[in-house]
Amino acid sequence: MTGSQEDAGDLSFSAVERRLKAYLVALWGLRVPVRPAAPDAVDGVPRRVSFGDGLVWMPETFRGVAGQRAADLFRASLAHVGAHLRHSGPRFPAGSLKPLQIALVSLVEDARVERLAMRGHPGLFRVWAPFHLARPGGAATAPALMARLARALFDPAYEDDDAWVDKGRRLFAERSARWEDPSISREIGNLLGNDLGQMRVQFNARTHVVEPAYRDDNAGLWDFGGDPPQGLEAETVYEAFRTEHEEVEDGAPQADPGPTPPEAPPPSAPAAPPQAEEILAPPVRYPEWDYLIGRERPDWVRVEERSAYEGSAASIDRTLDRHRAVADRLTALVRSARVSRPAWLRRQPEGDRLDLDACIEAALDRRRGESPGTRVYATLARRHRDLSVLLLLDVSASTSDLVRGTTRTILTVEREATALFAHVLEELGDPFAVHAFRSNGREEVRYYRIKDFRRPYGPAAKARLAGLEAGLSTRLGTALRHAGRSLARQPTHRRLLLVVTDGEPSDVDVADRRYLAEDARRAVLGLSHLGIDCFGIGLDPQGRTYLARMFGQRNFMVIDRVERLPEKLPALYLRLTH
Amino acid sequence: MDLSDHRIVEEPYYRAVGNEVALFEAAYAARMPVMLKGPTGCGKTRFIEHLAWKLGRPLVTVACHEDMTASDLVGRFLLDADGTVWHDGPLTLAVRHGAICYLDEIVEARQDTTVVIHPLTDARRVLPLEKRNELVRAHPDFHLVVSYNPGYQSVLKDLKESTKQRFAAIEFGYPAPAVEAGIVAHEAGVADDVARLLVRIAGSSRNLKGQGLQEGVSTRMLIHAGRLVALGVPVAEACETALVLPITDDADVRDAFSAAIAASIG
Repeated sequence: MTGSQEDAGDLSFSAVERRLKAYLVALWGLRVPVRPAAPDAVDGVPRRVSFGDGLVWMPETFRGVAGQRAADLFRASLAHVGAHLRHSGPRFPAGSLKPLQIALVSLVEDARVERLAMRGHPGLFRVWAPFHLARPGGAATAPALMARLARALFDPAYEDDDAWVDKGRRLFAERSARWEDPSISREIGNLLGNDLGQMRVQFNARTHVVEPAYRDDNAGLWDFGGDPPQGLEAETVYEAFRTEHEEVEDGAPQADPGPTPPEAPPPSAPAAPPQAEEILAPPVRYPEWDYLIGRERPDWVRVEERSAYEGSAASIDRTLDRHRAVADRLTALVRSARVSRPAWLRRQPEGDRLDLDACIEAALDRRRGESPGTRVYATLARRHRDLSVLLLLDVSASTSDLVRGTTRTILTVEREATALFAHVLEELGDPFAVHAFRSNGREEVRYYRIKDFRRPYGPAAKARLAGLEAGLSTRLGTALRHAGRSLARQPTHRRLLLVVTDGEPSDVDVADRRYLAEDARRAVLGLSHLGIDCFGIGLDPQGRTYLARMFGQRNFMVIDRVERLPEKLPALYLRLTH
Repeated sequence: MDLSDHRIVEEPYYRAVGNEVALFEAAYAARMPVMLKGPTGCGKTRFIEHLAWKLGRPLVTVACHEDMTASDLVGRFLLDADGTVWHDGPLTLAVRHGAICYLDEIVEARQDTTVVIHPLTDARRVLPLEKRNELVRAHPDFHLVVSYNPGYQSVLKDLKESTKQRFAAIEFGYPAPAVEAGIVAHEAGVADDVARLLVRIAGSSRNLKGQGLQEGVSTRMLIHAGRLVALGVPVAEACETALVLPITDDADVRDAFSAAIAASIG
C-alpha cells in the first residue's frame, strides 16, 4: 500500500455507498452520514477513513486498490468505524502525550473495539483479516513493529517472535475481562510506548500512517484541546470547514448536528430564474402558525399564482422513452390496479346474490324437464376508484444541487418522476393535478399550476413541466394550504396530497428552523380535518425527524437514492392507494 | 351442526412473551371483542389457536381479502333441486354455535364489508341476516377476534374509526432475543446456539427496517431458516434461501443483509 500508481479500474466509494451504509445499519443499527473525504494535499500519503462528531469521511478511492479488493476495503473500513462508534467511549484527552503514545494507544483501542465487535459478529474476522499483512522478521522499525502488533492483537493464531510484540499481546490478553473498558487502551499503550522509547526505535509522527489500510486515522479518538498537533487533526479541521461551506451554498441548512445560532442573519436570497413570470390570479392570503405564541398569525402570508416558464414538451416525452422499461412495468401494475365502475354482472356461476331472471329460467327449465342452467348468480364488479391526487413539487434553490454520483440535478429527477407519475395517472384515470411552489419571504409565495384537475395532460402541461426551474426557498405550510384549497373542491371520496421536498422548510425571513416545520405540521393537521390525506416524500436522507414531525410517523417516506425517485414515486402512489 | 372440525385437539405451542394470555382471558370472560396488532409472522395466529385450545372453544378462521363480500361472512342462498337453501357463512356459524371467530388481516377486507360485525360487537350481540329476515342472537360463548397489521402504509387501507373503537387491543412484537431463540429452537428443532445465531441475524434485518426493508425478518421466517438448518443445510445457505431472497429484491439491501449474516456467522 505505498500508493504507486492510479489504477484505471479504481472503484469509487459512491458505487458501493448505499449497500455499505445499509451494512452498517444491519450490523449495529448505526445511521451515520458518510461524506467523501477530499484528496489530501500532502502528496504520497495514503489516506484513511476518518470519523468524528457524528460524521464519517470516506476516501472516494484508495490509491492502488481496485475492483473487488477496493470494495472489500471500503467494507472493512466502514465496519471498523462502526466498531469504534459502537464500542469506543468519549474522546481520550491527549494532554501531554507524545505522538508515539497517541499512535500506540490508538492501535490498542482499534484492537479492543474490533475484538468486542467480533464477540457479537465473529464473521467480521473474515472482513478484516485479509488486510493484516504484517509478518515476523524484517527490520525492527516503528511502523513494521506496530503493524505486527496490530496483527498480533487482532489474530490469536498469528505468531511473532518479537519480544515487544509478544509483551503487547500478553498485556492485552491479561485484560480480556476488562475489554469493555476503554481505559485499558491507555494503560497498555503507555507501557508499550515507554518500551519502544527505550528500544530507541525511531518514530516519525509526520509520515506515520495507520496500518492496516482499513483502520481510521484516529482523529476521532482524541481530544486535543486547543492545541492540535500536526498530521492527526489537520484533516478533520479542514473537513469541518468544508462542511460548513457546503451548507451555506445549499441555501437550506441540512440536518447536520449543531444548532444554528438564533440570531444568524438570513442567507441572501438565491437568485430567481431569469424568465419573467406573470401573476395569473389575485393573490390569496393565508394565516401562518407561530408555535412560539401558540396561535395563527392571520393573513400572514401572500400566495401569488404565477405562470410557469414553458420548456420543450418533447423533452418530457423523451424522458418517458428513456424510462421505457420502468414505464412499461408501471403500466402493467396499473392494469392490475385499474378497476371499472360498479356493475352487477349477471348469470355468473358464482356470486353473492341470486340473479332473479336466471333463477326463473332455471325453474322453468326444470319444470319442462330440461336440465337447468347453473349460472344463476349475480356479482358486483369491483368498486370505482373514487380518488383524486395532487402532486406538489418543491422547486426551491436547493433542487438545483446535483444528485450525488450523477450529473443530474434534483429538479431534473423530480421532473422525470413527475413525467412518469403523470403517465401512470393518465393510464389509471384518477383525476390528478401537478403544482409546484417556491417562496421569497412571506409576501411572495409563488405557486405554479403545471397541470390542473380537469385539464388534459397535453403538450401545454408537459411544456410547463419541462420549463420548471429551481430557485428561492421552501415555505411549505403555505403551499400545503393553497394546494389543499384546490384539492378540497374535488368531489371524490378520498383526496390525497403528495408532497415531494428535498429539505427542511426554510425561507429568507425566518431564522428559527423549527418555525416553518411547525407551521407545515399545522397545515397538515388542518387538511386532515378537511378529509385530505397528506403524504411527504423526502429526498434528504437525514430528513426523517422533521418529515415525521410534519407529516406524522406513517405518512412519509425517504427516498435514499434520489435517482430512483422516478420509479419509486408512481409505485408509491399505487401502493398507497391500492 | 356442531363445530367439531373447528375444535383444536392438541395444544398448539405458544410461548407467552408478556401478560397477553391473562389479558385475553379477561377479555374473553367479558366477551369483549379483541384486536391482535403486530407485524406479520410474530405469532398472532398461533396465539389465538393456543387460546382457543386453552378455552376449549372451536375456532373459525376467516382470511380476509379485498374481494370478500358481506355474504362471504354471513352466508348466502344456494340452489338445490327443490329451490333455494340458505347456507350459513363462517361468521354466522360461529355466532350460532358459540365459537371464537377470527378475522385474519381484517384491513384487507373492504370497509363496507366489515361493518356487518358492528351489531355483534356492542351490547346487542346480534347478527341480522337481512336476506333471510332473521336476527341471530349470539351464543353466550361467541367471541370475535380480529388481527390487524398496522405497518401498512396505505391511506385507503385502514379500519373505520367506528370499527376500531369496538375492540380491545393486544399488541404483539418480536419477542426478546432469548425468548425468540427458545421459540425458534422449539419450532425448528435446532440447537440453542443455532437458534441464538438466527435471532441475532434477525436483529440485523430489523435494523434495516425503513432503510430498504419494509419489515424485518419475522419469527416465522427464522423458523423456516431453522428447519432448513435442521435438515442439514449450512446456516449461510439456509439464511440466503429463507431470509435474504424472500424479503427483498433490492440488490444493495440484499448485499448488506447477506454481508451482515456472514459477519454474524463465526
